[in-house]
Amino acid sequence: MTNTQIPAVRPQPPAAPPAPAPRRSARDRGTRLLATLFLAPTIVGIVVFTVVPIIGSVVLSLFHWNVIDDPSFAGAANYREAFTDSTVLVSFGNTLLFMVLAVALQLVIALVLALAVNGRMPVWLRSVFRSAFFFPLVLSAASISVVMKYLFNQDFGVVNWLLGLVGVAPVPWLTSENAAMATVILVYVWQQFGFSFLLFVGGLNNIPKEIHEAASLDGATGLRKHLGITLPLLSPTLLVASVVGIINALQVFEQPYVLTNGGPGDATRTVVMVIYESAFEQLRFGAASAVGVLLFVLIMAVTALQFRLSRRFVHYQ
Amino acid sequence: MTDSHPTRRTLLRYGAYGAGAAALAGTAASWDRLTGADIPGRNDGSLVVATLGPAYGPEAVRTLTEGFKQVHPDIKLRINAVQAVDWSDFFAKILTQIAAGTAPDLVYVATEGVQLFAQRLGVPLDDWVKRDAEELREYFADVHPSLVESMMYEGSLYQLPVEFNAADMYLNHQVLERAGAGFPAADWTRDDFTALLRDMKQASGSQFTPYFWTNRLWGGVVPWLFANDTNLLAESKAPGGDWLWDSFYPAAAREGRGGGYRWTTPQATDARVEEAYDYLASLVQEGLCTRPEGGNGQNLIGVFSTGRVGVTPAGGFWAGGLHLAGMKGDAFDVQYFPRWRTQRMQFGAAGYALLRTSKRQEEAWEFIKYAARRDTLTRLFSTNQTTPARRSMLTAERYRETGPEHWPVFYDTLDKFPDTGPIPAPPQVAEVEQVLLKHTGTALASRRSVGPALRRMQGDLEKAMERDV
Repeated sequence: MTNTQIPAVRPQPPAAPPAPAPRRSARDRGTRLLATLFLAPTIVGIVVFTVVPIIGSVVLSLFHWNVIDDPSFAGAANYREAFTDSTVLVSFGNTLLFMVLAVALQLVIALVLALAVNGRMPVWLRSVFRSAFFFPLVLSAASISVVMKYLFNQDFGVVNWLLGLVGVAPVPWLTSENAAMATVILVYVWQQFGFSFLLFVGGLNNIPKEIHEAASLDGATGLRKHLGITLPLLSPTLLVASVVGIINALQVFEQPYVLTNGGPGDATRTVVMVIYESAFEQLRFGAASAVGVLLFVLIMAVTALQFRLSRRFVHYQ
Repeated sequence: MTDSHPTRRTLLRYGAYGAGAAALAGTAASWDRLTGADIPGRNDGSLVVATLGPAYGPEAVRTLTEGFKQVHPDIKLRINAVQAVDWSDFFAKILTQIAAGTAPDLVYVATEGVQLFAQRLGVPLDDWVKRDAEELREYFADVHPSLVESMMYEGSLYQLPVEFNAADMYLNHQVLERAGAGFPAADWTRDDFTALLRDMKQASGSQFTPYFWTNRLWGGVVPWLFANDTNLLAESKAPGGDWLWDSFYPAAAREGRGGGYRWTTPQATDARVEEAYDYLASLVQEGLCTRPEGGNGQNLIGVFSTGRVGVTPAGGFWAGGLHLAGMKGDAFDVQYFPRWRTQRMQFGAAGYALLRTSKRQEEAWEFIKYAARRDTLTRLFSTNQTTPARRSMLTAERYRETGPEHWPVFYDTLDKFPDTGPIPAPPQVAEVEQVLLKHTGTALASRRSVGPALRRMQGDLEKAMERDV
């Protein structure tokens, strides 16, 4: 064995004079132009439908505007109101609670079902399950909520009728402060978990079988294999699913609007509902924009936090 | 650090970019703001009338358009049936159209929006009404002054009412028979009502709720406030309006009339308001009525027609609704709202409001008159989907097929109870309604929660009424 001393700093060759920047060929320029042309519709779309409305909302949040009269400058008044209005504050609390519970439930259910569907079963049955779990996602949230409102009606709903058959008293699914939020979350998760489920099925298929086989040879079994191998290797997919899930959950509107209209009281009123009510029912577009800007900042902050934490918990192969 | 100098070619290139950007900015700045009216086909010179979509189906739109064309072939008419779930949603969409620069000339407005439109958007009809007084004499003679007064704001008339619906009580005969109860008398009281609900509950199974109501401004908790001789907001009358009353109504009908309603100070903590809420909370606790969030108009016809509900407040519109749902005219009937301290009842009316932005105001007035004609309303309201504002249209023949037997109740709610009034709808109506719905849900959680919820309602109503619309 030779013991070679590696110098701490390798001697650098004398610096060569900087080479002149290569001139772009006509072909390169053509490729860049083509790429720009292909990207243009997307860029224009993002600018027109995302960037401009965001800037517009920020500007509008500094004004009082009721559609009928000209806007008048309000400074930070709309923000001050947002921070002191009890309905706005409650709606932020509700939305955060909804986000935590709904996303956690959605990810757990989707993961468990994805693992189950990925297990041993006939191919046709796997296809049936995959379609069945994904199907609610393609339906309109409003129409699902209308149907669920009938099902969960305290006095005439099918759910309470079925419970009545086994002697259970009618449950105030949508009319008690505690049950209403739980029911809205259940309806939301039922519709939304299909997306995470599909991501997890794809992620599970990308984990090489050899790793599981090697773990089995080392004596790892069921839960241990999932905790030690499946979850770490699935962590990039989990990150995507949780980021998308949280962004969607923070913008929840249709389900609480149709099922409970934010009630009882403010028990299920969410931030987007407050934005809608302020703007389109009370004609306070400035105040609505201020709440919208605050929600935008919240979503950005939560997403940034997720990516920051992901450095610790996400393992790329 | 390198000290680079731009080449002549670079300078020329950036110069060209700058000139292009300046030209583009100049062109954009010199253009007028584009609005929805610039879309080809939008601004075709038609008189545009916005109506509530679900209430005006294709048949109704055709009736209005073709009939108007026969009378005024020179006026091009376009009916814009706006799809909306309720009046609040409808007004939001109309205001969006106004913001987009595509304001209609006329908007079909119910009591909920009369003052909002009158204060901010509407044109008073006073001058036209005075000018065409002879032509309109027959109309006013046929329409109850309470309906006309509900369309006035600060002394001026903003709409000619064409329809209304009072909150009367519908009763299911099958449920009454099951309970061994007779049809209530016209002067039945709140206690009679409670006793009837108890009888119904006792005679029916667990899947039965005697009284079904909807948490909204019309037909919700407000009729109970009226019956208990109170209101959500202090009610008074604006001065003025004599020009109309003196011209069109006899002395007896003029008595107590003014220039329209004023709803001002919130009074949610008034003892009688609390008493009314307490009564409803007791009905909920006893299982005699649905919780406010549970009731909505969408499933009401189904549960009423199948005998799972015995009593519900509704207007003349339900005669047509129940008939369409297959319920025979003798399977249900209607009675006045029960008496408590008073038997004052509640109604909502609707008509066409003329917008200030309209450039065709003369043509619009011609449409308003046409829409209030008896023959127009007869064709338009042929299925009893509402109560016509014209008394002469309520006939036995009209209700022969749909029922109910006591159809005169619909107009007698106005004629026999002249203090019957409109729902409280100040210009801040959207926020007022939102506050009412929100706190009514909380108030009826239990009898103990009535007081605290009404105190919160009072605070929110005060804030809402302080806000300028």
